[in-house]
Amino acid sequence: MKIFKNTVLLGALLAAGCITSVVYAATINRTMGVRPYSKVMSDGATVQYWAYCNSGSAPSLPGPQVEVGVGDTLNLTLQLTGPTCMGGGTGGGGGMQEPAPYNGHTIHMHGADVPTSEDGVPETNGNLVNGDTYTFTPTANMAGSMMYHCHVHTVKHLEMGMYGALVVRPKDAGGNFLNQITTNAATAYDYVQTYVFSTVDPAYHTAIGDSPVFADYNPKYFMISGKEGKTTAAPAITLAAAKSKKVALRLMGIHSVNGTFTLKNASGVAQPFTIYTQDARSVPTPQTVTTLDIAPGQRFDIMFTTPSTTGTWYPQMLYKNIRDGGAFQTTYGKVTF
Amino acid sequence: MISNIYKSMMLLALLVMMGAAQAATRNITLYITTGTVTVNGTGGASMSSWSFTDVPGIPKTPGLVVNATEGDLVNITVINNHNRAHNFMIQGVTTDTTAIAAGQSRVYSFTASTAGTYLYYDTLNNNINREMGMYGALVVAASNGVSTVWTNGPAFTFQRTWILSEMDKPRWNDVVAAGGTVNTSIYKPNYFLINGRGGFDGMHSADTTIEGSVGQTALVRIVNAGQFSHSLHFHGNHVQVLSINGVRRAAPFYEVDVISIPPLGTAEVLYYLNQPGSYPMHIHTAQMETSNGVYLNGVATMITMH
Repeated sequence: MKIFKNTVLLGALLAAGCITSVVYAATINRTMGVRPYSKVMSDGATVQYWAYCNSGSAPSLPGPQVEVGVGDTLNLTLQLTGPTCMGGGTGGGGGMQEPAPYNGHTIHMHGADVPTSEDGVPETNGNLVNGDTYTFTPTANMAGSMMYHCHVHTVKHLEMGMYGALVVRPKDAGGNFLNQITTNAATAYDYVQTYVFSTVDPAYHTAIGDSPVFADYNPKYFMISGKEGKTTAAPAITLAAAKSKKVALRLMGIHSVNGTFTLKNASGVAQPFTIYTQDARSVPTPQTVTTLDIAPGQRFDIMFTTPSTTGTWYPQMLYKNIRDGGAFQTTYGKVTF
Repeated sequence: MISNIYKSMMLLALLVMMGAAQAATRNITLYITTGTVTVNGTGGASMSSWSFTDVPGIPKTPGLVVNATEGDLVNITVINNHNRAHNFMIQGVTTDTTAIAAGQSRVYSFTASTAGTYLYYDTLNNNINREMGMYGALVVAASNGVSTVWTNGPAFTFQRTWILSEMDKPRWNDVVAAGGTVNTSIYKPNYFLINGRGGFDGMHSADTTIEGSVGQTALVRIVNAGQFSHSLHFHGNHVQVLSINGVRRAAPFYEVDVISIPPLGTAEVLYYLNQPGSYPMHIHTAQMETSNGVYLNGVATMITMH
């Protein structure tokens, strides 16, 4: 049906002699599942997670990045039974869910502003919690960083690791993804990397249901993209870039405390970077700053240019408590050039 | 030259007339009283509280939302019917923080000079008075008589005022009620409130929910009377950020789906009702989605578009 309409439109445009380009709207069908994921933390303790996975692949923390082009239609299917992930079996069982009313899982596309039926919130739309398909067709103004996460008993399921990056990318006339943050050519980058900020309170991983454990949050581990990265010598995430190149970072806050992001050189001096989007909307005027507060749920797409001489910079997140901003920990990334 | 002076005088006269037609004197009395805050629903509880109320004997947390129009002279008399000292300060509007002794009163007079959303609270006692429920909001409407957030500012169809806060029942409210001493260095609130309620009520209360027809625009005025940052996430649509801490932004406005309000911070945002359906607005910070650990009874409300 869609192809037919496009063909008619194309014909009309050709007939009018005014066609210069055709944007191909793709349909992206992805199937994901949820699997147990066990991780040994920096202090030697093992924490059990529930992690999203691509169909047929192992689970990961955060879950696999989902990308959709402007104008494309994403059909994101969550399958909780059958051979969705490595190992097969029944994804919903085996301790992978809570008793009712918090049984099952969904996918909420955070920041996508989709209709109620696609929102993944069981309380509002009766979205099936034992598997469903979530559809999203982003418009051009939505290019940037979103997230997806489970919206069942969010206080626990987020904490369990049920989150990942959702990225809306601009496309060229041929339907190929452009290497730029938004449809504005000034946001073109040479390198891009996603930083997913998250925190872990181990008590939340063993408590279930309406437990008083969820009345207080005592985070013990502070991650970027699923790793602790407590020192510059052992960063959570690294990028090998070239000199004098543009590096874009997609900063995604799924953490439950406050945080301040900075980009520091090897001497610890904060370097400027430019914010192009906030919450997957172009900021009215790009802002060049040296520090950026990132609150729970917020996303930013930023960019900087590597120097013309060899070196290493450390993008980093100072996690802070939500009362007085007292420091918990700094988690480091690393960019070499 | 003469013509210009003449025009200026006419304009001045016009402005004076407009002002005279709209500026009013508003006399308000607030009574400081004790009471309880009740969070309904699973996980709920009743907590000992103190508040500013406009009805003697009937406590309110948060206190009365004081409404004024730009240019009004506002006289607020605060009568302290409690057995300990309190004060009353409207952030960004009044500066008098003199204690009002038990049984005494004090008058605060000011001209509501700038349209906006302001937090008032009791600044005394190392945050304890505020935590106990002594806060509210002042809303100053634009003077041009139409529904714009400020004169020549963005228009709205209807508005809500969200007063955010928390209470630490076992370590603060219960201790205060028992006459003990609160260790203010430890604050682990287990109740997270929007207009004094948990989500169980907050998702159904007319003063918190955003409900209307597609095409309408809701102005949401947010003040954080708590001691935690509140990171609010809107489903359904992004909001436009009109002002932060009383500082007006210029168009085009930032569009965000999360707005983080620090303690004592304020924000004004515009939610454009753009698609039918039912969507939550909730805090995105772990424990703050709960009441004593019970999910969705924290800071939450509903957005319903017809």
